[in-house]
Order: sequence, then C-alpha cells, then structure tokens
Amino acid sequence: MKSIAIGVHLRREDIEPLADAVPVAGLYLSAIAVADDQSLSDRDLLVRVTSTRAALLDRATFVAIRYGFSFRAGAEAEAKCAPQAARWKALLEEHRHRVEFTLKVAAPGSARPDRHDFKSGADYIRALHDARDATSIPASFREKVESAIVPIAVRHRWVRRDTTSVELAGLIERELLPRLAEAGESLKMTAPDVPFLLSAPWPLEVFAEE
Amino acid sequence: MAEREEQLVLVEALDHLLDRGVVIAGEAVISIGNVDLLYLGLNIVLANVDAIIRVNSKDK
Repeated sequence: MKSIAIGVHLRREDIEPLADAVPVAGLYLSAIAVADDQSLSDRDLLVRVTSTRAALLDRATFVAIRYGFSFRAGAEAEAKCAPQAARWKALLEEHRHRVEFTLKVAAPGSARPDRHDFKSGADYIRALHDARDATSIPASFREKVESAIVPIAVRHRWVRRDTTSVELAGLIERELLPRLAEAGESLKMTAPDVPFLLSAPWPLEVFAEE
Repeated sequence: MAEREEQLVLVEALDHLLDRGVVIAGEAVISIGNVDLLYLGLNIVLANVDAIIRVNSKDK
C-alpha cells in the first residue's frame, strides 16, 4: 500500500477518522491509503481525495498539499515535510479560523502565442510570459471587487495564472463566509457582463506557498 | 443542488486540488491522456457566471 497526502494539520483529531493521520515533525499529515499499483490520475481516486479534502476542511483549516505526493512510510513523509514544518505550524496557528477564497475573472486579452511562430523555445516562453502579463480585467470591475470583496479579507493577492484569467485569492475568517457570499451576489448584480466565479472555502493554498 | 452546479463545484475542487497548495519537492506532475486537465478545467469554470460558496456542509 501507499499513501496519498492531502494536507498538513495541527491536531490528530482534525483528521481521524476521515483519513489516516501520519505524525510529521510535530504536525499531522492527512493521507488516504491506496494500492501500490493505483494510478494517481484515476478519476475515482481524484474524486475521493477531493471529497475527503472538503470533509477535512469542515473540521479545521489545514495547509493543502498539491496532489501528487505519495509515500510508503511515515519516515519518508517526515523527511520530506520536516524542512517546512516550523513555517506550516506558524501558518496553521495564525490562520486556524480562516479559510481561503478565490475569485476567478475571465480576462479577454492577449491571445496565447503559437509555438510554431518561434525559432527558439526561449523566445516562445518569453512571449508566453508577455501574453500572460498583458492579461487584464476591466478597471471598473476591479474597483468593484476592491470595494466589495477585499474589505472582508484579512489578506488578498491578485494572481495571473494564464492568458485567459485573473484571480483574486483571499484569506477570510470562516464566520464571514455568508458575508462573502452576499458580496458575490451583489457583484453579480452590479457587473452582469463580467464572467467570474467566486468560490470558498478552501484550505491554505495560495497563502501557504512561499 | 442542481446537477450542473454540482459538476461546476467538482471541477473547481479538482482545479484547486491539482493546481494549489504546497509542492513537495520532486513529486509527480499529473497528466491525463495528454490533456492539460488544469487548463481544461479552468475554461469550463470560466464559461459559467456564478458564485459557489459552500457555507456549510449542508450545502455540499
């Protein structure tokens, strides 16, 4: 058997019996056990991990581990997690009652460059970055987001993930989720022509990255 | 919850699972059938105008 890691938690009771709790450097790793030959790209497994992740988040906020980290022994997980354990612990203690939200906004802008138009890979990568950096959303919509959503957040960060969207990631107190939902509904009414998707709650994802 | 909305929530959740969170050094990159799953998921999400907030477990 091997284990697929889901997140890093402060307490064992935040995990069990929803998932296995593996001690790592004073914290606990949530994980689910699967057969050694189980493919990580199996659809049913992805859905299982996703639903377990949501159930764990209902218990308590945790640091999300991006899908793909599997291990066979606790010692292996401990060795890989230990270098970051102190930072994760500080994050978990500071944000225990907070969750992340994301607001994705479709950003019609620069087209993705065609790799066949470039003689070198470096030029293509540079053009790809330029196209991403040119991606923007209407200033009026951004102002509405800044006035309706941002004030609810403890922290926020605008992120450009590709050439088709811009995203606002934020940290919010759990108890303010209903207010966030109201702000999202209000934004829909005041900016009906801008495609966006507001979603929450999420574990510590964007704000857990260095 | 309507089926379409459930699918949207799942796609969004998968996008977060695969594209967010801390990366443990040296681990696998997930690719499925040569399809860029993250890019595909994002396009599906952005085709919809909606707010999905799971305020509590009853809404799941």
